[in-house]
Amino acid sequence: MGAVSERKHRFEQRVLPHLGAAYNLARWLTRNDHDAQDVVQEAVLRAYRFFEGLRGEPRPWLLAIVRNSCWTWLQVNRPAELAGFDDHALEPRAAEEPGPEALAMRQFDRRLLNEALAALPAQFREALILRELEDLSYKDISRITDAPLGTVMSRLARGRRLLAESLRAVSNASAARVHK
Amino acid sequence: MTRDEANGLLDAYVDGELDAAKGLELERYLESNPVARAACERLRNLSAAIRDQAAYHEAPAELAARLRASVPVAPETTLVAARRRWLMPAVALAAVAIVACAVAIGLLRPDGEERLAQEVLASHVRATLGNRLFDVASSDQHTVKPWMSSRLRFSPPVTDLSADGFELRGGRLDYVGGQNVAALVYQRRQHVIDAFVWPSQDERAAQALSRDGFNIERFARGGMTFWLVSDLNRKELEDFARLLAERSAL
Repeated sequence: MGAVSERKHRFEQRVLPHLGAAYNLARWLTRNDHDAQDVVQEAVLRAYRFFEGLRGEPRPWLLAIVRNSCWTWLQVNRPAELAGFDDHALEPRAAEEPGPEALAMRQFDRRLLNEALAALPAQFREALILRELEDLSYKDISRITDAPLGTVMSRLARGRRLLAESLRAVSNASAARVHK
Repeated sequence: MTRDEANGLLDAYVDGELDAAKGLELERYLESNPVARAACERLRNLSAAIRDQAAYHEAPAELAARLRASVPVAPETTLVAARRRWLMPAVALAAVAIVACAVAIGLLRPDGEERLAQEVLASHVRATLGNRLFDVASSDQHTVKPWMSSRLRFSPPVTDLSADGFELRGGRLDYVGGQNVAALVYQRRQHVIDAFVWPSQDERAAQALSRDGFNIERFARGGMTFWLVSDLNRKELEDFARLLAERSAL
């Protein structure tokens, strides 16, 4: 009994503080609240079972478990989204080619930015969430997503190019509407 | 460096993940190439825009409650754990022996400093987990400071750093190191920063620690000791510490 409550106490102190990060990642990957909650709940219980395996920082460790649960969920529930999953299928334009208005501004429309991010293919979306919202290093992201460092680097690069392109496309479209 | 090479390194450069040699090489390339420089600037802007504007989805309170309730009934024993159970007394004994040796030869000093670090960390975790972040919720330093002063035997410096991106959210009373202290709560994006403050004659140099994935900064200024705890990244927490030290000295 003492061992159980001691273990639970350590789990609550080390792992549960990162529940917010776990939910945010799951919410971005499943794209809805209900499934995100289910996935996180299952992942946290799994984390508790494997708590002995925790070495080092708890946040990337928990996020790796959550990420796996999310991908399993996607494979079962959103197979179409993952069909043709291929990092090289999408070759966006090179970074040096500026668009006509070059996305010079820092303030994008918040709603458009969130929609564009949510519309990115899952592997690019998760890389950007882990990097920009969780502030994780390439090394941690590589561990969490079970991908080599080079792949992490190119997913972030491609993810940003795709995001910039889709923001450029919508802002061009709305500019065209205004000029009509 | 070729154009393609430089393009391939831009993101890692913006993310601060290039090694020093490559970074220098790329910087030389950027100096002579305004188009690439502009691309780099656009990347920075995009990255900043995602950080500022992408939604950080807050976990619903009922999820946290449900998890805390269901964790203890989770199966306690996995196959691996069961197989290893016989090992545990041996491992524990070995650990005790190692710690004893380490203490004996002075490697580990469980001193007051570490105890304080553990106390402020525990307080921060309890507050963020339990949603009792503040006793007084206000972004106005002129509300928070008098509230604190009237309840403590000292008047903690309360600084408005919202112009620098650190928003004051409020404060609470806490108990650290055997005394009542002020815990000022700031926020940077989705990250909560607790600043614990109490009077002291501390003259030691500032120190940065990290425990369980949280960053901690300690420094002393104007007769007060400050302990900062947050899951914010080290660099920004250092910026925060520097600003707080500067403004609190006034």
